[in-house]
Amino acid sequence: MRIKPLYFTREAIESMRRNFAMSSAAMSTAALSLFMVGAFILMFMILRSFAADTLSKLEIEVFLKDEAASAQVQAFQNEITSWQEVKSIKYVSKDEALARLKERLKDKPDILEALSGNPLPASIRIFTKEASFIEPTVAKINSYQALAEVVENPKTDIKYGAEFIDRLFSVFKVMGWIGFGAAFLLCFASVVLIINTIRLTILARSKEVSIMRLVGASMWFVRWPFLLEGMFQGLAGSVVAIGLLYFVKVWVLRKMTEIIPFLRITITTASFVQLVLGITFGGILIGAVGSAIALRRFLKV
Amino acid sequence: MISIKNLTMRYNGGKPALDNINLDVEKGEFVFLVGPSGSGKSTLIKLLIRELIPTQGRITVAGHDIVNMPTRRVHLLRRNIGCVFQDFKLLPNKTAYENVSFALEVIGKSEQVIRTQVPEVLRLVGLDGKFDRYPNELSGGEQQRVSLARAFVNRPPLLLADEPTGNLDPAISAEIMSLLDKINKTGTTILMVTHDREMVNNLRRRVIALENGHLVRDQMRGVYGYED
Repeated sequence: MRIKPLYFTREAIESMRRNFAMSSAAMSTAALSLFMVGAFILMFMILRSFAADTLSKLEIEVFLKDEAASAQVQAFQNEITSWQEVKSIKYVSKDEALARLKERLKDKPDILEALSGNPLPASIRIFTKEASFIEPTVAKINSYQALAEVVENPKTDIKYGAEFIDRLFSVFKVMGWIGFGAAFLLCFASVVLIINTIRLTILARSKEVSIMRLVGASMWFVRWPFLLEGMFQGLAGSVVAIGLLYFVKVWVLRKMTEIIPFLRITITTASFVQLVLGITFGGILIGAVGSAIALRRFLKV
Repeated sequence: MISIKNLTMRYNGGKPALDNINLDVEKGEFVFLVGPSGSGKSTLIKLLIRELIPTQGRITVAGHDIVNMPTRRVHLLRRNIGCVFQDFKLLPNKTAYENVSFALEVIGKSEQVIRTQVPEVLRLVGLDGKFDRYPNELSGGEQQRVSLARAFVNRPPLLLADEPTGNLDPAISAEIMSLLDKINKTGTTILMVTHDREMVNNLRRRVIALENGHLVRDQMRGVYGYED
């Protein structure tokens, strides 16, 4: 049989016009659930960007013991510099460390006055090429064979943002699970609503459908308009959801950069386009699944 | 055209609606199916268009074994069968022309075929000039003509008519009857369920009588034979 896309489309649109209230309800639920899914994905993108930005500012600081021989310290520095993961290192002498502290505490001169001599150790600040290199680099430092010559106590004298990283990622995980749970429930709800919409449409047109079957219309000929109707509802929902998401994305990014100006959060156009495509297909899929389920029960003529 | 072997139909395991029916209808025949209400006539029609699947037995229609036919292929069977009912089954929101063209549209006929065949068949049934009337603007007889046109527009080899004149007065019934006769003369096999004793007695065609699910009479050039 010849497929008639125009005929099917016309039928589907006409049917949605007749069942406008129910169609809008189905469309809105689809829009809401897709928006929720999208919002959680968007939140993830923002958090990931935030995490990447924060981690790129993380560094390792190794505090040296005062009695370390300068040759040993030099050898240690050369070793670290030779590692692939390391972008650069900076040696901070005892004097520089004190200067830094004085700069930071210049509003509280009484504390500085209480200092006698220079209790601050010298240190090496290590910047890695990527945030994910921090942990392996720390492990390498810990296994440096002459570490004892330069560092008093590796446990306390090697500092980096390990705890911070761990906490950040566990927060992400929990939020992710909650988000996907809610989004899944909403998707389920919109499938159910679309099932009901299509069921009503079929009931309203049951006479027409039975005559179609009687004069020899194939199952697919009867199905297509209803399937298209569901898919249109899903698609319309996804368009609304995408519009809302775009608005939210622009607004959130502007607000966040206003509040924390030094933060560099970006969502690339490519990843937003991916999100848009995902939501569009998700919407069409929800609609198609909903109407397919509704049709299964009604087309046993 | 129709071949029925040892057909038994039982609804939900109760008393059989049709019990061990054997029946053959040749191509081009005109057959009346008579019998009191509840004798199984409508069940037989429903089985022939595979709205129902028999409990037992074999049915062949226009070369299709319709008992073992998968549901997704049933439409191919129905394209070989035209159906006319007592209640016309027309779509109220479509004109006479649209009701007929709808039947061609849904089986995927081209616009061109539709434009030539629909007016032709509507003229054949005598509805010239009433193409744009809606069913509620037509008389009962005219509505039945539309439904006849719809059943016949695709030139099916078999036409099933379930009490097509049941709602019509005698004069109109005679006109519908003569149309069916005309269609039969073009080589279309017709199986017609009826309660119209006069028509059956006048036309002297093959008569098959059902009673309580049993085939009790099969007569060439028969009569109605009931005192109702």
